Amino acid sequence: MVINFTPVHYIAIPLLAAFLIPLIAKVSKNSVKFVPGIVLLYLSYVSFTLFPIAINNPIVEVIAGWQPPFGITLVYGPLAAFLVSMITLIGFIIWLYSFRFIIREPIEKYYMLFLLLITGATGIILTGDIFNLFVFLEITAIAAYSLTAFLRDKDGAEAAFKYLLIGSFASTFILLAIALLYAQTGTLNIADIASKIDNVEMPIRIIILILFTVGLGIEAELFPLNGWAPDAYSQAPSPIGAVFGGIVVKAAIYAFMRLIFVLFNFESVFYFLVIMGVITMIIAEMSAMQQNQIKRMLAFSSIGQMGLVIIAFGIGTEPSVQAALFQMFNHAIIKVLLFLAAGYLVFHSGSKSISSLDGLGRDKPITSFFFALGALAIIGLPPFSGFWSKLYILISVAKAELIAVVVLVLISSVIEAVYYLRVVSRLYFYDENKEANVRRTPATGLIAMGILAIVIVVVGLYPSAIMDVLKPAASELVNKAEYIRIALIK
Amino acid sequence: MIYYVTSVALILIGMYAVLVKRNLVKIVIGLTIIDAGIHLLLIAIGYVEDATAPIFSMESLTANQMVDPVPQALVLTAIVIGLGVTAVALALVIRLYDHHKTLNINKIRKLKW
Amino acid sequence: MRKVFAIILLGIFGFYILSTILLLDFGKRSNNVGQHYLETTVQETGSVNSVTAIIVSYRGFDTLGEVTVLFLAATGLGGILYDKKGKKRKLQHASLIVRVTSQIIYPLIILLGVYVFVHGHLTPGGGFQGGAIIATGVLMMFMSYRTFETNHTILSWIESIAGLTFVTIGFTGLMLGHTFLENFLSLGTPNTLVSAGIIPIIYTAVGFKVGAELTALLDNMLKTIK
Repeated sequence: MVINFTPVHYIAIPLLAAFLIPLIAKVSKNSVKFVPGIVLLYLSYVSFTLFPIAINNPIVEVIAGWQPPFGITLVYGPLAAFLVSMITLIGFIIWLYSFRFIIREPIEKYYMLFLLLITGATGIILTGDIFNLFVFLEITAIAAYSLTAFLRDKDGAEAAFKYLLIGSFASTFILLAIALLYAQTGTLNIADIASKIDNVEMPIRIIILILFTVGLGIEAELFPLNGWAPDAYSQAPSPIGAVFGGIVVKAAIYAFMRLIFVLFNFESVFYFLVIMGVITMIIAEMSAMQQNQIKRMLAFSSIGQMGLVIIAFGIGTEPSVQAALFQMFNHAIIKVLLFLAAGYLVFHSGSKSISSLDGLGRDKPITSFFFALGALAIIGLPPFSGFWSKLYILISVAKAELIAVVVLVLISSVIEAVYYLRVVSRLYFYDENKEANVRRTPATGLIAMGILAIVIVVVGLYPSAIMDVLKPAASELVNKAEYIRIALIK
Repeated sequence: MIYYVTSVALILIGMYAVLVKRNLVKIVIGLTIIDAGIHLLLIAIGYVEDATAPIFSMESLTANQMVDPVPQALVLTAIVIGLGVTAVALALVIRLYDHHKTLNINKIRKLKW
Repeated sequence: MRKVFAIILLGIFGFYILSTILLLDFGKRSNNVGQHYLETTVQETGSVNSVTAIIVSYRGFDTLGEVTVLFLAATGLGGILYDKKGKKRKLQHASLIVRVTSQIIYPLIILLGVYVFVHGHLTPGGGFQGGAIIATGVLMMFMSYRTFETNHTILSWIESIAGLTFVTIGFTGLMLGHTFLENFLSLGTPNTLVSAGIIPIIYTAVGFKVGAELTALLDNMLKTIK
């Protein structure tokens, strides 16, 4: 009996742990806190072993012994490997932060929902079957609804309900699209559908595209489908806001892009993506400027950054996709750092509004420093990682001769600089509020934020470390034939 | 054909309920109706004329006398998922009623754009 | 005003969706994955119920996800309603006829539920359906008797152990050199109770899990009535 590491561990081990948590909770309530950490650490080790293999030899794991397209497969190619490894590591860091941050009962349910939220996102990325994608989307969605309302306050329940309503519409559209796809192509395996999609008549294909765009666009926070996001991000506990912005939305964008590149790779679709990305980015950044609550501001900033990523995906060439993936990676790290730092700042100031953060730079120097570092990185200042990804995106956009888009990206970066530096200056240069309730930030939170900050600086100094790894990933996404070859003939 | 029309009609009725009705419980019922509509659509897609249920209960049944089993399996999963979402939605309705003492969604619309 | 806007929007949406759907064939057999499943299900999985074979064996991973969704929903509901639970349900005692009848029918309903999920590979039905029948029986008892109690600890144990059984069977397949969730028991003779390898075992576990979960969920919600 041999236990090799295979991609199914990413899903099955967390499920095993999640089913065990109620039993462990009966024995000892406090040890439940360790479970997600142990699982994520184990999965990080699995990533460490499998990732180098997958770059050159994509791993396609067959579930239940039935070859595709009659069975479900997990496709662990370079892109999936990269994203899943990133999610596992970021998940571990957020767990570390949650360890001391979450003090409200019921704790064991929090850790179970947290673990399954991350597992759902991982499943979305790993699966090669379209109905399985729907199931994992629902897993992620239900965990997200429950966690948004976790603090059980008035606004939290309302934000969760709004999220639920809009999310249910998303599921309906996606399920409709899947129904139409099955009726027309007769199979549910994504690679198999891709090889048969040209037999589908155009009007039906366009309707399926629209349904997927609306359905997945809701989860990926495309304009105008992102009305649920600011409320959900700001009412959920801060680590969960970090998971939403750093992990869940990345999985949704991956699903959307995979389907577009593999099923609908028409010129006009890419043009449409660029336009939607630009609109999303501009409107989100302008809304962010008007916010006076810190977490809502970060949520809008997240939406804007995703708009930028979609612009880069929309250009459609391998270098631009590489830049888009790099930006996704950087944004995940930086946005998580910002949410974690903001979490403690809000906790100590007692209120979510920006004006209550005045002067905290003196009382909480380390946390404020991390926030400031994140702010500088996300605006795109060298020598931090955000600079390189924005630069690469601007180069790709310029190469596609869309100068207007370059100008708009630069304008929105200026807007970003304004509202982020506004907060940083309030932290350091204003006088403090008297109601600040300042206590020491726990070590686990500081270590979590510290690791992220180190990554930002290191990647800023050596961007090619990540960019080289992303090259095969980008090629796999852009080349439809390559994906079909990897996923079906195994 | 009538099945397709009915399922789309159900989906539209459910969406109308979610968009227009003010009572929280009616909105959740609307979600359930949307689910019912789309499940009906899936099963109707798998129908084959003059065929029977995909169970080989007698030796004489062959594969060519049966309907498509895949949509039935998909709908089983989708029903359970719809149940999960409805359960969480109703829990949230209980919470909201507890805080606001009303089920009218216009009174609860505090979080704006 | 809002009603008019909604009707127009839905009208446009409905028109496009309906016109697309009416382009599909209705009632025609096509050469798709489903056809393949029908032709191979009895030899490859040993189960005569093709839908069960698809759910548990061919697309068993989806079922694992579905079980997780139910688990998540029950947990989420428990989390959201955490400190709203009273100790007793405050419903009215039902009338005499209802109380006596439910006591007679209750064991029969449970038996029906167990029958449905044990015979999932032979007759229409299976774990989810059987579990739902059991939960309905328990709901009937909840509504008839104010004092009918279920032991939450036992329910939670059943849930967890059933879930663990499912994942462990999957891993056993993986460790015995096959793939996750692959069948490793003998297929037996079709159309008999002991056949179809691991399918009855998984479906029984799912039946218990769903029954326990739905019961706990209903109990949680009923206890919030003040």
